Amino acid sequence: MSRALAQLLARVLAVLALCAVLALLSDVFLTRGNIVNVLRQTSLLFFLASGLTLVVLTAGLDLSVGANISLAACVAGTAMKATGEPLLGAALGLGIGAAVGLCNGLMVALLRIPSFIATYGMLWVLQGAAYAYMAGQPVYGFPRAFRLIGVGTVGGIPVPILLMAAVLALGSVFTARTIWGQQIYAIGANATAARLSGVPVKRRLILVYLLSGATTGLAALIFLARLNSAEADIGGELTLPAIAAVLIGGASLFGGVGSLFGTFIGALLLTLVLNGMNLLEVDARWQPFVTGAIILAAVWIDMRTGRMFAARAEKGG
Amino acid sequence: MSAASLAARTPGAAFMLGVLAVGFAAATPGFASLPNLVNVLLQSSVLLLIALPMTLVIMTEGLDLSVGAVLTLASVVLALVATASGSVTLAILAGLAVGFSCGAVNGWLVAGLDLPPFVATLGTLGMVQGVALAASGGQSVVGLPPTLLVWYGGHVAMLPLPIVIVALAYTAMHVLLYRTSFGSHVFALGGNREALAFAGIRYRGTLAAVYALNGLMAGFAAILFTARLDAGHPTAGIGTEFDAIAAVAVGGTSFERGNGWLPGTVLGVLTIGVLRNGLNLLAVPSSLHVACIGVLVILAFVIEGAKGTAP
Amino acid sequence: MRRTLLFAVLGMLAAAGTARADGETVAVFTKNQTNPFFAAERVGAERAAAAMGAHVIQYVPTKPDSIPEQLSEIDDVVVKKPSAVVFVPVDYKAMVPGVQRLNAAGIPVVNITDRSAGGDFVAFVGASDYEIAKMTARRLMHALGGKGKVIILEGVRGALTAQDRLRGFKDAIAENPGVTLVASQPGNYQRLQGMQVMENLLQAHPDVDGVLAANDAMAIGALDALADSGHSAQVIGINATREAIDAIKAGKMLASGDYNGFLQGCIGTMIALRAARHESVPKSVALPVVVVDKSNYQPYAVPVEKRACPKWEDVPQH
Repeated sequence: MSRALAQLLARVLAVLALCAVLALLSDVFLTRGNIVNVLRQTSLLFFLASGLTLVVLTAGLDLSVGANISLAACVAGTAMKATGEPLLGAALGLGIGAAVGLCNGLMVALLRIPSFIATYGMLWVLQGAAYAYMAGQPVYGFPRAFRLIGVGTVGGIPVPILLMAAVLALGSVFTARTIWGQQIYAIGANATAARLSGVPVKRRLILVYLLSGATTGLAALIFLARLNSAEADIGGELTLPAIAAVLIGGASLFGGVGSLFGTFIGALLLTLVLNGMNLLEVDARWQPFVTGAIILAAVWIDMRTGRMFAARAEKGG
Repeated sequence: MSAASLAARTPGAAFMLGVLAVGFAAATPGFASLPNLVNVLLQSSVLLLIALPMTLVIMTEGLDLSVGAVLTLASVVLALVATASGSVTLAILAGLAVGFSCGAVNGWLVAGLDLPPFVATLGTLGMVQGVALAASGGQSVVGLPPTLLVWYGGHVAMLPLPIVIVALAYTAMHVLLYRTSFGSHVFALGGNREALAFAGIRYRGTLAAVYALNGLMAGFAAILFTARLDAGHPTAGIGTEFDAIAAVAVGGTSFERGNGWLPGTVLGVLTIGVLRNGLNLLAVPSSLHVACIGVLVILAFVIEGAKGTAP
Repeated sequence: MRRTLLFAVLGMLAAAGTARADGETVAVFTKNQTNPFFAAERVGAERAAAAMGAHVIQYVPTKPDSIPEQLSEIDDVVVKKPSAVVFVPVDYKAMVPGVQRLNAAGIPVVNITDRSAGGDFVAFVGASDYEIAKMTARRLMHALGGKGKVIILEGVRGALTAQDRLRGFKDAIAENPGVTLVASQPGNYQRLQGMQVMENLLQAHPDVDGVLAANDAMAIGALDALADSGHSAQVIGINATREAIDAIKAGKMLASGDYNGFLQGCIGTMIALRAARHESVPKSVALPVVVVDKSNYQPYAVPVEKRACPKWEDVPQH
């Protein structure tokens, strides 16, 4: 068993432990309705965090995802509202998301601006654009056909959960089983070594930011469909939770470590905390405290597992 | 000396600041007046106190996302103690203690428990914010003793007190970073940690101290902040961390090589301050403000990059 | 490269600098760029100023509801010296030093929407959050026949509006012994959070009869959560936004308390300009509480951009 696998197991166990506690404290926690509810809420955070995971694997960061959601959702929403065309809206949402990702990738790969700065600057530009575009008014009421990707079900399972499963499966295969995926890990582990061993670092970096932008665009569409409305700061408060999900999921900001499944666990943990606080009716003032404490506990458990495993490996176990 | 070679030797942030200042002075009559320049310095004072130690944190390849929340909590506690006891001295000491303790906890999490700084301080952000909300009951704490207001509105030898405090803070930080072994360890912590360990230097203490210093400075910033608001407010400082990080970045401190430049951070804070002030004076719509700040952050780096490759 | 940049920036700034118009200027301070309530207030201010031959400069924090940013904007406005200021404090207590700075500069200030805890104002124009919340909640209590289980979705902790609305809701509930408050949780005025919190609460309280949301965004989020999960409950919100009016019209939502940002923007600006011209002004204008429901939504279905400010004679004066 590798160290990363041990840590992943520890993380899954931590989530299960949290579930056990919540099940003891609230008799509705383990109902089918609530489980579906939690998974559907997890999916929104997961889409955002999935592309971000790839960026973090390359030792980068994408701070623009929240603002990217805002702009993509607002433009797609207004276009759909004006034309009634779900496909046009979907194309615009994905297109804007991906185009922003491409810009980030070009800034990072070609202009060599550190990703933190490039995407932080981008955050402000996108947020400003969304503010100017919406002028303080929300847009709402989208075609029923479009809303199905947010509120529809297939075989009793909500569409967002199915989409999450698909992105998780495809993304896991992509990162773990394809050459491009391996190259992304290699860039994060050591960019110079990767370049010397023939990895087209610049092109892969651009690809990674492009994918992050595209999944953000997808997240924007599902948000639109779920909420049936968009306003200029719809995504503003989602960036930090998305990054937190990736990092709680075991990815390192120094790159080369992490997985999409880990990110899913991270997103699930954060969603469970909120769900649990609502079910247990934790006082509003203490909710940020509880969230912060659980984030710390999660990374601490992670760290301890890693240490224990390393110690046993040293002993020859 | 030609204009081009002069430009090539100027740091990116100084260049941006110069261009903006000249531009605003030409475009709006109020900008270049002495009261307005003092105004910009005063507005920048709190951010400077936060951004200076943040430069050190970033030099160690770390980050402190909790500093805005720490500033908020220190301000709330300061205000609570001031209203309860009536003693400004006691209140200031309490605020500083809160700042230092939060910073020390961050230092312990990062240096002691080896938690990644980004997640560790994200966790403390939530906790500290929660305590600030609970301690204040979610409301502004008002009714501060008037003597506290001197910390933002007072003067020393014609100079506004916040500017004097910032100048002293800068001098202390400059000496600490460039004239002491602590400072050289900080430089080494960014990208050369193994060498420190190899030389038998206990870098964990230094690393923890950097975070503790960051918290302590947030405590000092809280004095000016509370005096400026004449209140302690449970969410007022939220987001300051990102302003500080942006200012450090505009100032040319690198996130990757651990190269820090303290004067650059001053330039970075002032550049953002001048930009916001000038855009306000020009009555540029707020949505454009937002976009301009983004362009500024990216441009500062592009200019730095262009300088590096200039012949 | 650098020189091109330099000229580009200078050119832009010069262009911006020459775009100043003559006549009086009114500086209007609002809290954020996302709440349609403040957008309506800004439109009202523009309308009133244009009708009186003046023009408006809008100051909105780039970070929603940021206290330090609004203080800085005040400092900058003191340098600019507009003829008058129309002011919504982002925090009613922490902005008092800012108001005092405007007072010291001798600029007449009209306080609208949230009443400032201090400073000198020409007048206050607003409606009581507490009253609006209580009246709207009473409409729900009436619809429920004075009995049932209700949930409150709270606004942002620390905001005066959230505290007053919560108090108004709770007092109205207390008037009805048959009504039980089963949960009160924060949705931070956000639609997504309102929806997700409602989804979570529905797990524990699927038999809820009524929802009191502290604003319309959360109310609509709650409606979606209810519809998606096949539950039904009567929902009220506050602000009478266009979306809420549509929902009321469609019979999905029960009622929304009207805060009328447009009117506050209009009247505040009219008073500010009259004060700058040394004409008589009332000390306070309290807008009547209107609970918008299926019986009286028609006037609210008109988009803000198409509404007209009232004539000065029609302004309710106290």
